[in-house]
Amino acid sequence: MTAPPPPAAHRDRFDWLLTVAVLAVAGTMVRAIAFTPIEANQGAAQKIFYIHAPSAFVGLYIAFGLVAVAGALYLWLRDERLDRIAASSAEVGVVFTTVVLITGPIWGKPIWGTWWTWDARLTLTLFLWFVYLGYLILRGAIDDASVRARYSAVLGVLGALLVPFIHLSVYLFRTLHPMPIVLKPSSPSLPPEMLTTFFLALASFTLLFVALLRARYRLATVLDALVDEEAAEPSSMGTLRAEPLR
Amino acid sequence: MTPDNSDYFVAAYVAAAVVYGGYIVSLVVRARRARGRQQRQRSAGELSRTPRSEA
Repeated sequence: MTAPPPPAAHRDRFDWLLTVAVLAVAGTMVRAIAFTPIEANQGAAQKIFYIHAPSAFVGLYIAFGLVAVAGALYLWLRDERLDRIAASSAEVGVVFTTVVLITGPIWGKPIWGTWWTWDARLTLTLFLWFVYLGYLILRGAIDDASVRARYSAVLGVLGALLVPFIHLSVYLFRTLHPMPIVLKPSSPSLPPEMLTTFFLALASFTLLFVALLRARYRLATVLDALVDEEAAEPSSMGTLRAEPLR
Repeated sequence: MTPDNSDYFVAAYVAAAVVYGGYIVSLVVRARRARGRQQRQRSAGELSRTPRSEA
C-alpha cells in the first residue's frame, strides 16, 4: 500500500532557491574575509564594502526600482499580482536598506572618525528608508484591497524618484561619502581581486534578493487566498480570521 | 601603516548576518503559520459543507 502524496503545504516547505542563495552569499563572504587582500589605507574595515555596496545596489536600485515599476504597472493594468510583487519587493528592499544603514556607520567610524553625518547621500538614504517603511505601514492601515494597492502604488512610484538623487548626490553636493568606484562612467578603480569579490558579492546578493522576493510573494499569495476563502465562507470560519495582505 | 580596525569589520558582518538571518526566519515562521491557518480554514470549510447525518 502506498502512502498518499503529501499536501502542497508540506511539499513546498523546502525553499531550494533560498538555500542556494544563502550558500552563495556565505561563500562570497568567506572569499571576502579570507581570500581578498586587505586595503592598505583603510585596513580590514574596507571589507565592509563587500556587504554595504551590494546591499545598497540591490536594495535601492533593484528592490525599490521594482516597487516603482510594479506599482506603475498596477495603476495601469490593475492586476493584483503586480501589487503583490510591489509589496514583497518593498519589504525585502527595506531589509537590504536596513543593512546599508547599519553597516555604513560601522564602516564610517574608523575611516571618517564619526558614526554619522547629515550629508546628502546619508540623509537621503535614511529618508528613502523611512518612505518605504511608511509604505509598509500604509499597507497595514488600509483594509480595502484595491484602495490599499492604489495608494501604495503611488507612494512606491514617488519614493523611487529619490533613488537617482541619491546616486547623484555625491556629485551634486559636498559629502563625506565617497564617489562611486565601480558604478561610474570610467573603468572601476579597484584592484582585480577586489573587483572580482565585489562582482561575486553583487551576484550573490542579487540572488538572495530574488529568493527572498519569491518567498515573500508566495506568502502574500497564501495570505490573499486566506482572505478570499474567508470572504467566500464567512459563516463557517468561526474564530479563524485571516490577516489581509499588507 | 595599515590600521587595525578588524573589530568594526566583524561587527558589520555579524550585524548583516543578524538582519538577513532574522528576516529569513521571520519569512519561514510567517509562511508556516499562514499555511497552517489555510489548512485549518479548509478543514473547517469542508466540515461545514458535510451533511449532518455524515458528520
